[in-house]
Amino acid sequence: MPSLPDSPPPVPPPVPVETHPNRAGGLKPPPEHRALPDPTRLAPEDAYYSSSLLRGRPGNTNYEEQLRPLSANTATAVSVAALRPPPAVPGAAARKENRKLRGTGVRRRRKGAWKKLLWVKQSYPDNYTDTETFLDHLQRNPRVRPYDFWPLMADSTVIVQHVCSVVIFVCCFVGIVQGRVSPVSVVCWGSVGTAFGWVLWDWWAFTEHAEDKRPVERVAEGDDGSSSSSMTSSVNPSNSRPNGQRESQVHGLGLSMASNIPGAPLRRRSTGLSADSFTAQDPASPPPGYSNGNTGHPQSQWSIYQSSSFLSRNRHRLSTIKSSFLIYFSLLGLSPILKSLTKSTASDSIWAMSCWLLIMNIFSFDYGSGEGAGGTKFPASLSTNAAVMASTVLASRLPSTTHVFSLMLFSIEVFGLFPIFRRQLRHISWTSHIFLTLALVMVAGGAVGITLRGGLAGAVVGSFMGSILTALAMGGCSWWLISLQKYKNVVSGPWDPARPIIRRRWD
Amino acid sequence: MRRGVYAKRIVYSSMVSDFFFPQPGGVESHIYQLSTKLIDRGHKVIIITHAYKGRTGVRYLTNGLKVYHVPFLVIYRETTMPTVFSFFPIFRNIVIREQIQIVHGHQSLSSFCHEAILHARTMGLRTVFTDHSLFGFADAGSILTNKLLKFTLSDVDHVICVSHTCKENTVLRASLDPLMVSVIPNAVVAENFRPLHATPHANDRQSGGTSQLQHTPRPIGPNDIITIVVISRLFYNKGTDLLIASIPRILASHPNVRFIIAGSGPKAIDLEQMLERNVLQDKVEMLGAIRHEEVRDVMVRGHIYLHPSLTEAFGTVIVEAASCGLYVVCTRVGGIPEVLPQHMTTFAKPEEDDIVLATSKAISALRSNKVRTERFHDQVKVMYSWTDVARRTERVYQGISGDISPQEFYGYYPGEIQEAGSDRIRNFSLIDRLKRYYGCGVWAGKLFCLCVVIDFLLYIFLEMLFPRANIDIARSWPKKLNEASSTKTERDRLGSTS
Repeated sequence: MPSLPDSPPPVPPPVPVETHPNRAGGLKPPPEHRALPDPTRLAPEDAYYSSSLLRGRPGNTNYEEQLRPLSANTATAVSVAALRPPPAVPGAAARKENRKLRGTGVRRRRKGAWKKLLWVKQSYPDNYTDTETFLDHLQRNPRVRPYDFWPLMADSTVIVQHVCSVVIFVCCFVGIVQGRVSPVSVVCWGSVGTAFGWVLWDWWAFTEHAEDKRPVERVAEGDDGSSSSSMTSSVNPSNSRPNGQRESQVHGLGLSMASNIPGAPLRRRSTGLSADSFTAQDPASPPPGYSNGNTGHPQSQWSIYQSSSFLSRNRHRLSTIKSSFLIYFSLLGLSPILKSLTKSTASDSIWAMSCWLLIMNIFSFDYGSGEGAGGTKFPASLSTNAAVMASTVLASRLPSTTHVFSLMLFSIEVFGLFPIFRRQLRHISWTSHIFLTLALVMVAGGAVGITLRGGLAGAVVGSFMGSILTALAMGGCSWWLISLQKYKNVVSGPWDPARPIIRRRWD
Repeated sequence: MRRGVYAKRIVYSSMVSDFFFPQPGGVESHIYQLSTKLIDRGHKVIIITHAYKGRTGVRYLTNGLKVYHVPFLVIYRETTMPTVFSFFPIFRNIVIREQIQIVHGHQSLSSFCHEAILHARTMGLRTVFTDHSLFGFADAGSILTNKLLKFTLSDVDHVICVSHTCKENTVLRASLDPLMVSVIPNAVVAENFRPLHATPHANDRQSGGTSQLQHTPRPIGPNDIITIVVISRLFYNKGTDLLIASIPRILASHPNVRFIIAGSGPKAIDLEQMLERNVLQDKVEMLGAIRHEEVRDVMVRGHIYLHPSLTEAFGTVIVEAASCGLYVVCTRVGGIPEVLPQHMTTFAKPEEDDIVLATSKAISALRSNKVRTERFHDQVKVMYSWTDVARRTERVYQGISGDISPQEFYGYYPGEIQEAGSDRIRNFSLIDRLKRYYGCGVWAGKLFCLCVVIDFLLYIFLEMLFPRANIDIARSWPKKLNEASSTKTERDRLGSTS
C-alpha cells in the first residue's frame, strides 16, 4: 500500500523499481500532522528561517469551503484531480467528499505513489512536488563543532603572543627614536634571549633524539595532530596522509640541505637589497638556524636531522654559527644603505606605511600549529616579509648606522626567529607556553606604559592595565565568537560534491 | 471534454545561452535538440549566443533553426563578460524582429542568459530558465553565483531542472516556490547510441559494421575478456582520483579485464603515472580526448561503463552508455540514482573500496550472464527521447503564457491563501517586480532594484531612440506543417495530460 491512502491501487510499473528510501515502508504520518496539504512545508524559506511561514494554514472548514465552488464545475475539478491529487489527507470527513468528487474514471487511471525517478513515465505533472521526499536529504550544520570557552581562550594565547611581540618591537623603536633606550642595549638583550632560545632548542633536540629513534613515525604523528587541531577545518581529503608525509619529508630534506650549503645565503644576498626580506625568512643567525624559517615543518626536518649522526649535528651547529655570522656582517655592511634607502620619503608616509605593514603582519601571520600539511598552506612568508619591510622603512628615521643595524637585527630576531621558538615551545610544554604568554603580556603592557608615561610607575600601571585589558579582550572575543555560532547555517545535501575516500595512493 | 482550451498556439521562443555549437558539450546539444524538436512541434525557435571564432552573424542550422551569434567579449571558458546592460539594445532588436514571446535561458554560469532574462522581463516577455548543474553553498564562488541566480530567478516565470536533486538544489539556491520548478530530464538520441549487435535500420549511420550487425551477442564465457570503458574529462570532480586508485586493484583481482579510458584533463598525468608505476600499459588503453561523435564507437568496444563522478546533475553519459548496451557502474551522487533503473546499474559509494567491490560484482554478473544488456537499448529508447522533452517543455510554455489555467498548471492547494498562488503568475508592472527583487537581501535587494530601474529607463530610452515601428519583422523559415502530424501531437498531448 503506498503512502497515499486515498489513492487507488497503483498500476504496476513495467519494471520493478526502487522507490525512494524514505517511502519504502509505506510510511503513514499521523493525520493530525498532515491535516492539510500545506505548501509551506516545501517553501525554501523553511530551510533558512524556521519562523517565516509566508503562507497561512487555514483549517479544515476553509478547505471544504474552497473546494465547494470548484465542485460546481466538474470539468475543472476533474482536470485538477488529474493533474495533482492532494498530496495528503485533509481529514476523514473531507476525504469522503473528496472521493465522491474525484472518484471518476479519470481518477482511476491515476497511478500510485510518486517516485523520485526520472526514467519512469509518471502521470504527475513535471512541477509536482512531493511533500514527503522533497528536500528530505537536506542536512543543516552537519559537521559543526561547537566551541567551548576555555579551549578557545587557550587557543587565543597564540594571537596574544604575536600581538605582544609586535607591540614590544614598536615600543623599542619608539624608545630608540626618542633616545630613551640605547639601541645597542636593545639588540644585546634581544641577542642574549635568542642565544638562550637556541641553547634551549638544541637541548630539546638532543632529548628528543634520545627518546625517539624513529623519526618518520614522529612526522606522521605530527601530521595527524595538525589535521585534528588546526583551526581551519578544511583539510583536503584527497591529500591523504601518506602522501602528506612523503611531501613533508622531501620538503624538510630539501631545506636542511639548503642550510647546510654555506653558499646559499650568499647567493641570495647577491640579488640586492630586496633580498634582505628573504634573509629574515632564512634566519641562519644563532638560535634555530637549522629550522631555517621553515614555519611549516620544523618538526619533520628536525627529525631528519635527529636521525643523522651526532657528528653531523655538530657540523650542523657549526654551519649555523657560520651562517649567523654571515648574516651579522652582511647586515652590518648593508646598514648604511638601509639608512638612506627611504630617507627622501616624508615621515608621515613612513608612519602610515609601517603601520599598515605591521597590521598586515599580524593578520597574515600563520597562527596554526605549524606541523604537517595544514601549516604550509598559508603563505607565512608574507607576514615575515611585511614585518621586515616595516622595520626597513622605519630604520631610515634613525640617526646613525649603529641604530639601523640594531633595529634590523632586532626585527629579524623578533619576527623571524621568535615565532619559530614560540611554536616549538607550545609543542613541547603547555605550561611554559602560558608563562611565556603572561610574561609577554606584562612586558608589552609595561613597554606601552613607559612609552606613554615614562618611569617605573608607568611600567607597573601599564603592565597591570595591559594584563587586565588583554584578559578582557580574550574573554570578550571568545564569548562573542561562541555567541555568533547560532547564526551558523550550513546547508548540505546530495548536490554537494562527494568527498572521495581513497584508502591508499597508488604507490 | 476540454478540447476547447487547447487551442493550439504557436509559441515564438528564443533560447539564450553562452554555450552553443561549435563548442561541444551537454548544454549545447541539449539546446540544439530541444529547439529542433520544438520546431518539429510547430513552434518557432531561435537561438541567441555569443560569437565564436569563425561563427559570427546569423546562421541557419538544420530544420530552419536560426542562430544569432552576438559579438561579445568572452572572458573565461566561453563565458561572456557580465555587463548588466550592454546586451540590451541588440537583444531588444532581435526579440522584436523575431516576435519572440518566451525567452528561455540555459545554464547558471552563462551571463548572457541572466541578462537576457532580466531584459526580457523588462520588455514584458515570459521567461524560462533551465538549470543544468549543481552548486554547493559553501565556497565563495558558489555564494556569488547563487546570489546572481537569485537575482535572475526572483522574477522568472518558470524554471526547468534536469533532475529532482537539481530541483531541490535550485529551489534552495534561489528561494523559489517549488511548484514553479519543473523537472524535465535530458535525453539521448538513441539512434546515435546503438549497440554493436543491433539490427540495422534503414538510416543506419554505421557503414563499416554491416557484416556483424545481424549477429546476436555471444554470451560471455568465464575466461573471456571483459572491457570496462571510462569516458569522462579527467578532473577532480569527475572522480578521477577514485579511478586511479581502483584500476590497479580491479586489474589485480580480475586478470581478464581491460580498461579503455577516453578523455583528457589535468588528472591525465596522474593516471599515466599510475599506469607506468604498475606497468599496466597493455591492459589499459588511453585514447585521449575524443569527439562526441566517436563516443558511441568507443562505448561499443566495452561491456561495462564505469562512472566514478563525485557530483552530477543528470549524467547523460550513463544513459548513452546504457543505450549502447553497457552495464553501468556508477557512484550514488547527485541526480545519478534517479536516472537509470536498477537492472542496468550497480551503484557504489564514492569510496575506493566500494567502487572496486561494485565493479567486481558487475563483472561477475556479466560473466554469469544475468544481465540482459542487449535489451538496454530499446528500454532506454522508451525512457528518454527529445520528443518527450520537447512536449514537456511545451507544456511549461503553455502554462506560463496562460494557455493552461494556472490552477491546472500549478496544481491546486485548497489550504492556500489566494495571494501565494497569484504570485506565481508574475505580472510585469514595475512596482511588483521591484518588490520581488527587493526581497533578495539587505544590500543585494537594493542593488538589484537599482539595476532593474536602470534597465527600465534604458528600455524607455531605446523605445524612443529606436522605435519599434522601424524594426523589420524577420520572415519565418518556410515550413510545411502538415495537418496530420499536428493533430497527432495534439492527441498525444491530450493523452498525457488528462
